[in-house]
Amino acid sequence: MYEYIAKKTLEDLALGGSVTGLKMCMRSEIPLFIIKIKFREAMGKNALGGLANIEERENGSKITLESEIDLGDALKTLWSTFGRDKVEQSGRTDIIVSGVAPKDLRDLKIRDKAIDVPARINELAARIIPEGLRVRSIIREPGVMTFIAAEDPMREEWKDMGRKLEVDE
Amino acid sequence: MLKYIIFEGGLYKHEILEEFLEDIGGFIVQRVSVSLDLILNLAVPEEEVQRLNDIAVGLKGKLKEAPLIGTEVAVVAPTLSRHHLPHPSCDVAENLRRYGAKTNIIGLARGVGQKIVNRSTREKELIEEHDLAVFTLGNFEHCLKEAKLPLFKDLSIPVIVTGGPYFNGLPGAQGYVGGIGRFPERARTGDLIERLNAVSELSGKVVEQRRRELDLDPLIVNPIVVKEEVERQVPEAEEGLSPNPITLKVEGVRIKLPYDEYHEKVEGIKVEGRRLGDIANISKSLMRDYILVRVLPESMFK
Repeated sequence: MYEYIAKKTLEDLALGGSVTGLKMCMRSEIPLFIIKIKFREAMGKNALGGLANIEERENGSKITLESEIDLGDALKTLWSTFGRDKVEQSGRTDIIVSGVAPKDLRDLKIRDKAIDVPARINELAARIIPEGLRVRSIIREPGVMTFIAAEDPMREEWKDMGRKLEVDE
Repeated sequence: MLKYIIFEGGLYKHEILEEFLEDIGGFIVQRVSVSLDLILNLAVPEEEVQRLNDIAVGLKGKLKEAPLIGTEVAVVAPTLSRHHLPHPSCDVAENLRRYGAKTNIIGLARGVGQKIVNRSTREKELIEEHDLAVFTLGNFEHCLKEAKLPLFKDLSIPVIVTGGPYFNGLPGAQGYVGGIGRFPERARTGDLIERLNAVSELSGKVVEQRRRELDLDPLIVNPIVVKEEVERQVPEAEEGLSPNPITLKVEGVRIKLPYDEYHEKVEGIKVEGRRLGDIANISKSLMRDYILVRVLPESMFK
């Protein structure tokens, strides 16, 4: 059941392309909930040329984004720049822009600041962890975040369980 | 005893149905008319159901038994956060409405966790204003069996609990339906809809049982009669923008008018030659200061 909740929450937050692995451990009799998430850090690129492959098409261009996480910002920028009638999303990460050459798209900035993936991972974990487990501890490592949630004061052994949890990619 | 039935059909010649109801002493509890379609929630004497069915067939309409007509059901979620709302509470509530119930969703302030789980007296009183409470709980069997009982065990109304794991019954609850735990999207699969139907069917049985118990010491007037008299004598009640401005309940009605302004007028309503204030308890609801009318049983007047 929690696997299903995790999958749907990943979809809702458009983190499908950024999360490379996720593992959960539940002990309802304690109660304790551990979730470990491996993710790809954002590159800090803001220009469309750095985030996507852009090909020339008849009467326009086809943009293939590397990560779904950029989709919302990319569509918003393309719609406001070229108008809704010229921009069409043809797949999960594919966008077709009519009447615009690739060279006009490469330098287009889709956001001012680089995306904060750890903040989104935080939100993902908060949505999955049962609400009653309000005592939380987060272990941050490069590309991995481990959330330990319980109702009692946090114990070192639970943090160790979190550290030892292995995530398959 | 009255039988509760939903009629689904068209507007064409529906007055035949209305005249029939008038003749046999039946009632229209709720009327929803969209374009040329008509849905009527009806209360009909048990022995007239066959004749009603013949008329409905003649009008090319459909009849469906709906024991939840005339009941107000509280769907109670542990909190109002996104973990518990809108799914599954709204799905459970929607399905109950399909069976004729009027539902209110209540989110507790501290219904979560195993050790911090709590329910205040005010929340208890609010839930007890309803005819039935459906608690939509989570996925952990241990949590449901060991920790959540304080939420519902001392409620004076019947309780049904839903949760993820499958097991038989919970102490303090009239029924338990498994397979509906926490889920993050609208119920669309056949399995899940079947579980929602199971909740509504069980609710119907519990309400029917309550009505049969009431027959042993019947109310001095039927709440449907009170509803009709309120509509006639306090027309402002029908003009309210709230859904179901006069909500029928098993033992009374909820009138969605401010208590302080209207309670004297409501107390003065004449029902079968008596003053409503003399044959019913009229109190202020915890829900937006509405007026709650609870009709007294016959035994109180002997």
